[in-house]
Amino acid sequence: MNPFLAVAGLVLFVAVMFMLPLVPALVELKRKSDALPLNVVQQNAGEIRHFAGSFRTYIQALEPILQRCVASGETACGTLPDGVEYLALDRCEDPRALPIQQPGAICPVTIAAASDIVVPPETTFVRDIYAGGRFRGGDNNSYRAILGEKDVHLGSFSRLTRWVHAVGDFAADPGCELSGRVSSDSCIRLQGACNFLRLNAPRIETGRVRANEDSIRSNPEDHAVEGSETAQRFLYDGNFEVRAGELITGNIVARGKLHIGSGARIRGSVKSVGDMVLEAGASVQGSVMSGKQMLIGPDCVIHGPIVAEHSLLMTIGTRCGSLSHPTTVSAPRIEVEEGVAVFGTLWAREHGAVVTIP
Amino acid sequence: MIHVLYFIVFVICVYTARHYWFTLNRLFGFQRHPYIDIDTASWPLVTVLVAAHNEEKVISNILSALMTVKYPEDRMLVIPVNDRSTDGTRAIIDEFVTRFPGRIQPFHRAAGKGGKAAALKDAMELVKTEVILIFDADYIPGAGLIKQLVAPFFDPEVGGVMGRVVPLNVGTNLLTRLLDLERTGGYQVDQQARMNLRLVPQHGGTVAGVRLSALREIGGWNDNSLTEDTDLTYRLLLAGWKTAYQNRSECYEEVPETWAVRIKQIMRWAKGHNQAMVTYGLRLLLGKHRATLRERIDGALLLGVYVMAPVTLLGWALALAVFFQGLAPLHGVIALFSLTAYAALGNLAAFFEIAAAARLDGTRPRICLLPFLILGFAVSIFSVSRAALSQVSDLVTGAEFHWDKTERFRKVL
Repeated sequence: MNPFLAVAGLVLFVAVMFMLPLVPALVELKRKSDALPLNVVQQNAGEIRHFAGSFRTYIQALEPILQRCVASGETACGTLPDGVEYLALDRCEDPRALPIQQPGAICPVTIAAASDIVVPPETTFVRDIYAGGRFRGGDNNSYRAILGEKDVHLGSFSRLTRWVHAVGDFAADPGCELSGRVSSDSCIRLQGACNFLRLNAPRIETGRVRANEDSIRSNPEDHAVEGSETAQRFLYDGNFEVRAGELITGNIVARGKLHIGSGARIRGSVKSVGDMVLEAGASVQGSVMSGKQMLIGPDCVIHGPIVAEHSLLMTIGTRCGSLSHPTTVSAPRIEVEEGVAVFGTLWAREHGAVVTIP
Repeated sequence: MIHVLYFIVFVICVYTARHYWFTLNRLFGFQRHPYIDIDTASWPLVTVLVAAHNEEKVISNILSALMTVKYPEDRMLVIPVNDRSTDGTRAIIDEFVTRFPGRIQPFHRAAGKGGKAAALKDAMELVKTEVILIFDADYIPGAGLIKQLVAPFFDPEVGGVMGRVVPLNVGTNLLTRLLDLERTGGYQVDQQARMNLRLVPQHGGTVAGVRLSALREIGGWNDNSLTEDTDLTYRLLLAGWKTAYQNRSECYEEVPETWAVRIKQIMRWAKGHNQAMVTYGLRLLLGKHRATLRERIDGALLLGVYVMAPVTLLGWALALAVFFQGLAPLHGVIALFSLTAYAALGNLAAFFEIAAAARLDGTRPRICLLPFLILGFAVSIFSVSRAALSQVSDLVTGAEFHWDKTERFRKVL
């Protein structure tokens, strides 16, 4: 073989091998099939009521039909502009008005009622439900989404996959599985053994909250401090303990574990990189942050945001935030005993559960 | 000579391992986003500083965006820091002040030391709030961004906050597409992995925040620093304050569209970073302060990233020299292995990181552009090395650094 050709062939081969990875690159550069900026959410700030608001706008297409139903007392069915079938009613206190023949049935249409609505048990609603009045669901139902202009009440062991919003109160009987967003403009009440992910309401209660919870027990001079308010900082490289009944003014940061004794009062925020325990009756005016697990003992009062990076257990009588200073309670896994009140957001990224006290 | 080469190879291996560690952490490790769920709170008063020097092309975009964010209007004050602009920036700002009375308080700076840090330092006389957010004028914050950047300050350990920067002008040309990939790797993997591992997320000086009491504790803005963000990161760290990175707090920015602008930008970053390394490196590693051991190590490695460019060039030169010496065959083989090992493993780590980052972002076809990153790296390695050399020569000659503002490419609205 001619040495010149051999060298030329080798050079050509190497050049081809070198250029090979560039072929898809050149194609992409030319086609620009993935050249748009990363889709950053610019307008929707992640509000929990976003879907409910969109659905309310969407369902407005049925407003004239609902008014006719109210005037005539009859039902109407048809198809929305996007092809979704609907059933429009004035009110539905008799479940026989719904296109459901037997227990265990599937309701395939969007239901819109101008007034109150009661749905039978053991039914799966694969489309959204709109109630112009109160909504009352039977036991063992499955829902996709519900928008109620007044109260919404789900029966025992009901399941929710996307969202529910109640302009009035929202209540879930024992054993409900609330996998989506639950919001209310008034109050959310979850009974024992309910599971949840994201809740938002001016007031969230688990089980039966003691009647005098509204009048906060703490000292009148206590007020919610902003987590960012200038305060002296106490930084400890290891574990730290606040003794029972002690009053500390300032922010506490412990790089290890933090133990706040019973009845102790912190006029500031607290943070532990390790586990944190708040004993019974402790109060914190600012935020409470733990890099691992957090246990909040009975009757604690916390004004600022509560974040545990691994898990959180809140026990009976604890109160987080207030009507005038709502707050967020967040952790991947949250267990809340019955008798806890949260004002604002209760958000379990992976799993939240209301624990029944024997 | 061979021992220097051994050392360089060792350092390269350390950085390579670091790339892999970060990437694997992002793919399989526990992800920390502790503050992102704080959506309900008594939101504190906040001041938003917008650094602007001849920004008529972009300033109206950011001011418009800030006027529509979902943060209580009476809790947020925007201060555009108009730093000696000679274009229409001042007029645009004043027009916004008229349109939104009480919500924007302009700071027009007519004279003084050049540079962003100096301008911010002067603007501090107007700041009364504990939480301060900082944006460069070419950024466009989304509706929920302010709350997301404020939320970490509820943590009393947090002194600084950094959000994620996302290029807006991605599709303009090859350079913008490469910069998009680099940013993706830097934020989606590097920064978030540092957050996950409780290392040292870097304050970027924009889409960022700082706690006023922390800033005062460390002595305020350092107007002698070429990169005030790196300087701030390390002074906060040494004082026991954490910088939190919020990967889901994304904000659009404009990346350079010409190589000349990119080279200037990266040279300034390199000089500032090297300056911080000289100032804080030894103290960080060996000094008595509040940083943990892992923060000391990671912080030192982060300080050294821009030195790696000239070090790598030196390594290549040494490897070739040792190989061609021919005096010690074993050494020659080792040198050759070193060179090829770096080409195979060192570069691959960075590629792997960027590909993983793009995958995490849910984008696929743009990963095809990875081979072109060699071009970007080549430009960076020589530019950064040039910056390091000029820094040394400036030190000898006593020349002063000239602040170069990054040119904007957006059309004037």
